[in-house]
Formats: sequence, structure tokens, C-alpha cells
Amino acid sequence: METDKLLPTDKFCAYYNVEYSFVETLQEIGLIETVVIQETQFIHIPHLQKIERIIRLHDDLNINPEGIEAVQTLLDRIERMNAEVILLKNRLRFYES
Amino acid sequence: MAFVDYYQILGLDKTASEKDIKNAYRKLARKYHPDLNPDDKEAQKKFQELNEANEVLSDAEKRKKYDQYGKDWQHGEEYQRAQQSRSRSQQGYGYSGDEGGGFSDFFESMFGSSSGFGGGRQVKFKGQDYKAEVSLDLREAYETQKKTLTVNGKNIRITIPAGIENGQTIKIAGHGGNGSNGGPNGDLYITFTIANDEKFRRSGNDIHIKEDVDLYTAVLGGDIVIETLSGKVKLNVKPETQNGTAVRLKGKGFPVYKNEGKFGDLYVTFNVRIPTNLTERQKELFTELSQS
Repeated sequence: METDKLLPTDKFCAYYNVEYSFVETLQEIGLIETVVIQETQFIHIPHLQKIERIIRLHDDLNINPEGIEAVQTLLDRIERMNAEVILLKNRLRFYES
Repeated sequence: MAFVDYYQILGLDKTASEKDIKNAYRKLARKYHPDLNPDDKEAQKKFQELNEANEVLSDAEKRKKYDQYGKDWQHGEEYQRAQQSRSRSQQGYGYSGDEGGGFSDFFESMFGSSSGFGGGRQVKFKGQDYKAEVSLDLREAYETQKKTLTVNGKNIRITIPAGIENGQTIKIAGHGGNGSNGGPNGDLYITFTIANDEKFRRSGNDIHIKEDVDLYTAVLGGDIVIETLSGKVKLNVKPETQNGTAVRLKGKGFPVYKNEGKFGDLYVTFNVRIPTNLTERQKELFTELSQS
């Protein structure tokens, strides 16, 4: 496990001004993954962007973690569909050129 | 500098209660939130306006000042005094404008730069993500490219791996806007446009070309030299090759993105050319052939 890609959850909470229980809830419903090393809980740094989005949705729009999960699923689907649109556009380009 | 009607932005009138303002903001924020409208610049602009309107109208002091001097902000004596004494703490928000300002000139002139978004929340947020577009031609995309881009006045040297696809976006971490309250920088997202090539048509990692073959080689067979993206290649044409026949040259197509040494295939479709301007003798020979 590369610890330079991990951020202790308590530091994360202080940095982003969120309750520890909020992180626990996100983890419980599977929105984020944490790891425990020598009794310290860590968050994956590459996942920070996703977690920031979750915090914004929670704070700005007052969406609860379950709602965020639904939003997240739909946003992931949009992302996949966008990738598919690019693929199809490129195929179409082949026949149009 | 134009007056900004914050009540109109939230769809309210001047008698709106605190609860009305909160509800209107929440409702419209859900509709225009940039996280729910990725790549929609109009929604981002609208969300910025909503934030600004909410910032003013949800704060009793700011609302009072806005109601009192809003339209006459340039003339109010008291406003002038307030303007002189206001603090100028600088802070942006993740969705702020391209240069990190985030609030209209009207807002900044009346209230100074924001002292904190969402009622003074002091959260460290990652900076704004920037987006850029880079155009390449197909032959450039065939090879790994090193390019220097200028994004917001900074030069960034990037490596574009061979095989990049039209419409593909790559992320350059940390080259977006500055984070707020000491948060990390945003990222730079570069979307690539790969122009079509007249000779080589790309389909994923495969390349398709059309190649003229004279009638005699098509009938009797022989070698021809064709141009591929990696140079000239000798290709054997089998005897009695029909017009429109396609052959595959394995590994002579486009490089597979981030998969060094791996290539798609090249498909060559033969276009058999019928000879023109035949001499009398040639016509006789063809007639002879047709009767044999």
C-alpha cells in the first residue's frame, strides 16, 4: 500500500471542515473507500476530487448521502454515455469521410 | 457596470421572506449546479449568479444595503463611505469565473470581494478545473508528440501519447485554477480533435486506404508499393484480384493508445483501373481475349 497516496481521515475532516460521522456514512453506503493502517483510517488521495463533489452536493444542495449516491450513479452513467457518443461519432466520421 | 437584480435572478419580489429566498435558491441551485451539469457553461454562469444573489439576499445586512442603494449604488453617500471602509479579503470559490473572481463587478463594487461563500464557510477547496482544446492531424496523432501549451499565461509542456483518439480528453493534474483557502490546484482537461486525412481513414486502431491497381496486375498478379503511415511497403497482388477486394496488413495500422509497440491493422481496398486510350492493336487483343 502506497501511503503517500493516502490522507488520514481526521486530517481530511479538519481540512474540509466536515464531521467524521459524514465520512463514516459515505463509507457505509459505499460512496467512498477508506483503508485502516495501524488503527488509523485513511482516504485515498486520488479519490479526493470525487469526495469534494460529494461535499459540494451535500453542502450546496442539502442532498443526503443516499441522494448523493443516486446522483453519483447518474453522473457516472452520463460519463459512460459521453464516452460512447465519442466512439459512435468517430465511427460515423469514418463512413462520412 | 450594470445593476444586477438579485430578486429577479431568484424569481422573487422584494417582499420575499428569508425562507422564500432559501427555498428559491435551493430549487434553482439544484437545477444549475455545475456538478449536475458537467460541461455546461451556461449552467455554470447561472449558478454563479444564483450564488451571488443568495450571498446578498440571505445576509440581512447586505440585503438591507442592497435594497437601500442597489439601483443607485453609484450615488449613495453612505455607500461611498461603506465602500471606503470595506475590507478587501480575497477569496474565490470553486465555480468562480475563468480568472477566479466569481462575483460580478456590481457585487464587488458594492460589497467588496466575497468574504466567504455560503455564509462564511471556510473550507479548503480544490481550484477550478480548466478546459482546453488541441487539434492534431492524423499523422501527428500517429506519433507521440511533445507540445507546449499556454494556459492562462503559463506555459505547460505536455506529452501526447501516440494513438490518441478524436474527442479524447486527458487530464493534466494540478494545472487548473488555484485552490481556495489553501486547497489544491484544479486540473487541466485537454480535449483533442484529430482532423481527417485524405488518404488514411481511421476506425479505432485500424486504418483503411484505397489503392489503385492496373488491370494487368489485377489479372496476372504482381507486386505494388503502397504508402503506409510508417513508410512504404511492398504488397503482393494475387492473380485474378477483383475490384473492391480488401487485404489486411497486420500491425500496419494505428498505434494503440498507451500500449507501446502495439498497432492496429491496415486494410487496403483495391481499385482496379481499366486502361484508357487503347491502341488499335490493344483493342484487337482484348477482342481476341473476349472471344477465347
